[in-house]
Amino acid sequence: MAEEEKQLEEFEQIDFLKDRHVRFFQRTLQVLPERYASLETTRLSIVFFALSGLDVLGSLDVIDKDLIIEWIYSQQVLPTDDKSNLGRCGFRGSSHIGIPYSTKGPGVLHPYDSGHVAMTYTGLCSLLILGDDLSRVNKQGCLAGLRALQLEDGSFYSVPEGSENDIRFIYCAACICFMLDDWSGMNIQKAIEYIRGSLSYDSGFGQGAGRESHGGWTYCAIASLCLMGRLEEALSPRELDRIRRWCIMRQQSGFHGRPNKPVDTCYSFWVGATLELLGVFRYTNFEKNRNFILSTQDRLVGGFAKWPDSHPDPLHAYFGLCGLSLIGEPNLRKVHPALNITQGAFQHLQQLHQTWRSSCGQQH
Amino acid sequence: MQKIYEAELSFLEACLKVNPKSYGSWHHRGWVSARLPRPDWARELSLCDRCLSLDDRNFHCWDYRRMVVKVSGVPVDQELEFSDRLIGSNFSNYSSWHYRSTLLPVLHPQTRQEPPHASSPRGPQSHRVCEEQLLKEYELVQNAFFTDPNDQSAWFYYRWLLGRAEREETISCVYVSREDERVAVAFSRPINARCVGLLLVLDGQPLRVEWRSVHPRFRHSPVLICDLPPGTINDVTNEHNLTVHWTGNHTHRDCALYTGRVESWCRDTATDQELFRSELSVEKTSVLQSELQSVKQLQELEPLNKWCLLTIILLMRALDPLGYEKETLAHFQTLKEVDSMRSEYYSDLCCKFMIENTILKMEYAEVRVFSITDRNLTSLCHLDQLLLVTHINLSSNRLQRLPPQFAMLQCLEVLEADNNFLENLEGVYHLPRLQEVSLKNNKISTLTDLQPLASCPELKRLDLRGNPVTQAASVESDLAELLPSVTDLLL
Repeated sequence: MAEEEKQLEEFEQIDFLKDRHVRFFQRTLQVLPERYASLETTRLSIVFFALSGLDVLGSLDVIDKDLIIEWIYSQQVLPTDDKSNLGRCGFRGSSHIGIPYSTKGPGVLHPYDSGHVAMTYTGLCSLLILGDDLSRVNKQGCLAGLRALQLEDGSFYSVPEGSENDIRFIYCAACICFMLDDWSGMNIQKAIEYIRGSLSYDSGFGQGAGRESHGGWTYCAIASLCLMGRLEEALSPRELDRIRRWCIMRQQSGFHGRPNKPVDTCYSFWVGATLELLGVFRYTNFEKNRNFILSTQDRLVGGFAKWPDSHPDPLHAYFGLCGLSLIGEPNLRKVHPALNITQGAFQHLQQLHQTWRSSCGQQH
Repeated sequence: MQKIYEAELSFLEACLKVNPKSYGSWHHRGWVSARLPRPDWARELSLCDRCLSLDDRNFHCWDYRRMVVKVSGVPVDQELEFSDRLIGSNFSNYSSWHYRSTLLPVLHPQTRQEPPHASSPRGPQSHRVCEEQLLKEYELVQNAFFTDPNDQSAWFYYRWLLGRAEREETISCVYVSREDERVAVAFSRPINARCVGLLLVLDGQPLRVEWRSVHPRFRHSPVLICDLPPGTINDVTNEHNLTVHWTGNHTHRDCALYTGRVESWCRDTATDQELFRSELSVEKTSVLQSELQSVKQLQELEPLNKWCLLTIILLMRALDPLGYEKETLAHFQTLKEVDSMRSEYYSDLCCKFMIENTILKMEYAEVRVFSITDRNLTSLCHLDQLLLVTHINLSSNRLQRLPPQFAMLQCLEVLEADNNFLENLEGVYHLPRLQEVSLKNNKISTLTDLQPLASCPELKRLDLRGNPVTQAASVESDLAELLPSVTDLLL
């Protein structure tokens, strides 16, 4: 650890512009430029990037937490009185479908209104980051909505109407079950089989069976197995070594997501966190990684872009920060590599779990 | 309906022109194609070809193409020709090599001799390719990496070609100690004591025992131990026959404990198991030799190429780890210079190989002494292969901890680990035979660090000179209380 800190001191000439990033995320929470219109249905995930980014920066005090908590709860698809819509519960990405604003139940049945697995996942994370106790989360609804999304092969749809299905949504599902401390939301064994089936000939993970290895899907695979507590059961020591090798080879300066592709800021987290979960992140070159991430920093507007001299966006801004946090950048909070929230938010979750377990006295 | 869907397809084509990486557009196109009364798969394939010619790494397009091929029944050999063409025009096309890796096992499968084991989930490694086709593929790949040695596509594909399926799951060792009335079993992979189906049979009678891992913080372990009911085997005039059955894997191992013997074991050595020739096929030594020659030729032309060096190291370890030891170490040195960004990873890999070679040498000499000193070791591995070791010397390395896995050294009598950076001794836990421990010049700073030693009942000699803990005021009396069995204490 001491050696790494020394390395960082030597390279502080590329300075980290904390205040710009705080303002970048503040603006993200206020107004988004027109080109984000197509992401309206997934707006909650952008809110997550901004909130978690501010948390990593230790600057959540600049926002009105209660206001945002209320908004998030208004995206919850709650069960109707007769519970006929349980399989459609969860969180929406935004109010795009036009449901009247309400943070309380009971739910009202509307055609085409349903939760989205990634929005449920980022919604719960966001509530935790804001210090909420999840008491208004309808767990029964979320878990039923989740179960309705899992296919025979173990993967998940994102919405009950159907969508593409792959390993990304397994990760979302694993996070939801982990946060709600209830694995009845998914069939773990089938999910593990799908994950194993996604292991490619070169020991990276694809989106599904037969698909090309990719840093993002590799993160989803490994992080999911870690959240489930099944990493060493699902993968042999030899397979784990080969996966480590594939991941370590992704570093070029920063990291890329696939061989022969350019490096991209967000992979400093996707691949970096995977290496951390596999215990070998310390073997990467921190200096080159840091230099690349900071080369994509926008000095005027704040945030980070995927490449140098590109426009910053909330996703890359957030993962750039996470990438820096992994290498121990001073003044950044530590991030839990599997759940992708700060360790502080994670500890808050652990306290909630303790409270839930002792109050209902159930075995988990 | 046909007209409506076709209009949709035109619309989607326009969308894809604007954003060829939209999950929604591709998914919807797939949805429409699946419902079209008269689908035109040729048109779909041509759309894919056009898309890939613009961006041959577009995985959305590759995935869509895979679906079209499957649904329309395009024969696999035709797709293999397609990948031939793509690779032929551009060796650096990782996606094409990947596609090829999925086609090849379908077209030229290796016939499996045994059925897959029920307990291990099937993974992609079970899709191997038959020998004949392999040799042709070696030629193709060699052309690729000779043409462009810096592109990793061909190297990863090559490594996959050279690789072999996972080994059969077996019990690699059964060890019995008369004195401790304990049985230790080593498996070819880590297992969970609570889930495993193990049956112990002593002298023809099944015996109810409780299996456990060697350390509470190490639940998924390749070594499990159990205690026999007192009085079962402690009479040295009796001979006993022990069998351990691993019911889920239909395999077992016997061990005979003879009269007058206080311990016994039955083991497949690492050499027998070809454990450290981990990655590569064994049948074809001549093929591996010839591959090694080819890659060495390339290395002479491209001395700074890391893939060459890595592949040579791999091939050498497959052919003769001990014979090629000096060359391998030299190649690692070069590798660390050539790819300095990953030098720590290579150091760790090199340490692993040195541990493997030390194990092989120990087995060859038929001794139970494991010594690896002055090698800059930062971590330990293969501790499950050291179950029978009585003496271990890890001095003058860079170890910071002896992790829970270290407790697999159930036969250990003497531990020497001077001149390291040890501050954590978790793994020195309930080692029934441990008598002597030397930890001079380490970083042990508190009494708590030494707590695990209290679990070793036979510990008599302890050397702690040169550790911060010796500076504490009441260290001698504290240690006398913590470790009453120790008679010889050096501070």
